[in-house]
Amino acid sequence: MKNNLFKVLTLIVLTSMLLTGCGGQPAAAPAPKELNVWITWGDNPQQLQELFDKYGKVNNIKVIVTAPVEDDKVLPALTGSEPPDILILGGGDLVKSYAKEGLVVELSDAIKTGGIDLSDIFDAPLSQCKDGDKILCLPWGTDIYALYWNKDLFEAAGLDPNTPPETLEQMAEYADKLTKVGGDGKLEQIGFIPDQAWGHTDLYSHMFGGFWYNNDGTQVTANSQPMIDALTWQQQFFKKYGFDNVLAFSTGFGDQYMSPDYPFYTGKLAMMVDGEWQTGPNFIAKFKPELNYGVAPLPPPANHPESANSGMVAGTVAVIPANAQNQDASAKLLAWMMSPEIVAEEMCFNANLPTSKKAAQDKCFTDNPKFKIFVDLMGSPGSSYVVTTPISLEFNDAYSLAEEKILHTGADPKTELDQLQNDFAPKLEEALK
Amino acid sequence: MAELLEIKDLTKKKWDFKAKWSRRTRQNFWIGVLFLAPWFIGFILFTFYPLAASFVYSFSEYHSRKPLIWVGLENYQTMFTDKLFWTSLWNTLYMVIFAVPITLLTSFLCAVLLNLKVTGQSIYRVIYFLPSIVPTVASTLLWLWILNPQAGVMNTLLGHLGINGPNWLSDPTWSKPSLILLGMWGMGSTIVIYLSGLQDVPVSLLEAAELDGANWWQRLRYITIPMVSPITLFNLITGMIFMFQYFAQAYIFRGTQGLGSPLNSTLFYSVYLFQTGFQYLKIGYASAMAWVLFIIILVCTILMLKVSDRFTYYAG
Repeated sequence: MKNNLFKVLTLIVLTSMLLTGCGGQPAAAPAPKELNVWITWGDNPQQLQELFDKYGKVNNIKVIVTAPVEDDKVLPALTGSEPPDILILGGGDLVKSYAKEGLVVELSDAIKTGGIDLSDIFDAPLSQCKDGDKILCLPWGTDIYALYWNKDLFEAAGLDPNTPPETLEQMAEYADKLTKVGGDGKLEQIGFIPDQAWGHTDLYSHMFGGFWYNNDGTQVTANSQPMIDALTWQQQFFKKYGFDNVLAFSTGFGDQYMSPDYPFYTGKLAMMVDGEWQTGPNFIAKFKPELNYGVAPLPPPANHPESANSGMVAGTVAVIPANAQNQDASAKLLAWMMSPEIVAEEMCFNANLPTSKKAAQDKCFTDNPKFKIFVDLMGSPGSSYVVTTPISLEFNDAYSLAEEKILHTGADPKTELDQLQNDFAPKLEEALK
Repeated sequence: MAELLEIKDLTKKKWDFKAKWSRRTRQNFWIGVLFLAPWFIGFILFTFYPLAASFVYSFSEYHSRKPLIWVGLENYQTMFTDKLFWTSLWNTLYMVIFAVPITLLTSFLCAVLLNLKVTGQSIYRVIYFLPSIVPTVASTLLWLWILNPQAGVMNTLLGHLGINGPNWLSDPTWSKPSLILLGMWGMGSTIVIYLSGLQDVPVSLLEAAELDGANWWQRLRYITIPMVSPITLFNLITGMIFMFQYFAQAYIFRGTQGLGSPLNSTLFYSVYLFQTGFQYLKIGYASAMAWVLFIIILVCTILMLKVSDRFTYYAG
């Protein structure tokens, strides 16, 4: 009897240890026939799973898609023992810092193994994955921003509804005409808010002929003239009607990006800078189908006419974790993902830009003249890409703070950018050692 | 029963391993160890090991797939010159200095009111406790709406009073007060602890004071407040520790903005620690920050316990 009690107790304790995961590692299971794909974005996980099921069917392997994966889970997975076989990130910002930590592999071998045709990938999006000769990621889909304007509001303000502004300076004049201030001094309608929903200084600085890094990402150029010009240009939209006033107007709509209450849809915002997806089925067509609007490349500043018809590319990239169990299997899946048909299918579904030149010929992208503007912008020789460095994330946060000070409190652009330059030039130098 | 007694006996014995235990005692000992094991193994693996590891990492540059690089005290020295470190420390101290006493005072007052014998007392109690059942994420998102400068309830109400409400979320002056407000909304558990303390105030003392002619305020000041002072100390210390580690609300409160916005006014210590470790991948520096926070909390708690002797009264 006593002995039995002892056995039962031992059993209970051992079981509880197993259940709480304290019983040590179970014996190594044979490698399962499955591949894991993690995607840090994805409004429609089911569609992504169905897409990858196609690969599974042909190759008799189970592909498990997890989307959206929280950013915070990515790092533990890359450093732990159960990484995904392919990781798809919303942007390239983190790739170089992951590479520096040795968490993702250089893809030359994978490109060879999988037979990926690099010449089919548009230059601008591919460039964001390059570090010198190394290729650290492959761009799956990409984004580019352009100017949207509300034709009805243009007409009401006495402007030609079919002609967008030709220069950034003219755009500011138009914005002025399109802004209405109520009797109580509060804004009722506003022409343009340069950072509505999120900031676009990468695009504006590109228009003024520069960026916050030099082309190969070896130097911080935060206080270069294009950066100062870009921020001074943006600041005027706040300065004119009062920083607090515009901010209250703008933050009031902060959380309504994917809703019918977004100010551009309700006619409270006459012009916006936004991405290609707005022309697709899930945004304007869904929330405000009757909206009478136009799209055009963002105009260049008067003193930089060479920036006309260009944009700034950034978007979804795929990497292979260094600790992925079977690198060949990852390479093959990556090659399949990057094939023109699959790129076309996925990007068509999300109304994002396909990075494959062949895929871009698909009717899905060429039939909609508004979407075509973005496809053309991506291929434009003037278009550039968001340069990244191993300190991108830290820099971006510090930059955002500076931008916030300049745009929302009226701080002097040059002073703030000088400070940023002084703080980060040595940090980048250190990180690149 | 007999076994229980035996175990009890065991605890009295000195730990002399050479002493001969009866078979049964030995068996009981191992049963005890087995019962302890799940917790103990869990503690070693999930608490002690990470703690020890973070201490080691705090003196190194940590790269997950490369060997540790020893840097000595460099991580600790960096903190002195790191502007963001000081910003985050100041933001956190602001919350400790303002949020803790304000919350403590209001929850005490609420508890006193909820302790009054009025009709519907239990309904009031439920109403005040309800918000603390709402999950942090949900309540924070709710407050984002309440404080929305355009369409929020708060500014609409203020507008009716003729007050032009501030940009609660995007004005750095108002972002921390907004978070304090949000915290006060969920102070139900503090109220409950106070309520239980108020029930323990001896009625005899209150009656005696009343007979002696003490008015409501005097009874509160000279009897109730001293009698619940241990509860106040408990709430003060737990509230302080909570505020030093403040994270979830701030993480969600930024809405669509970056961490710490507006203008880093909500970049609290834990938020910056998270950012440093898991976003900038500086695990070593983040570990050092964690240990500094631990020391700050430890020192503050000890100080408070020392000072508390003067104002805390333990009956019995």
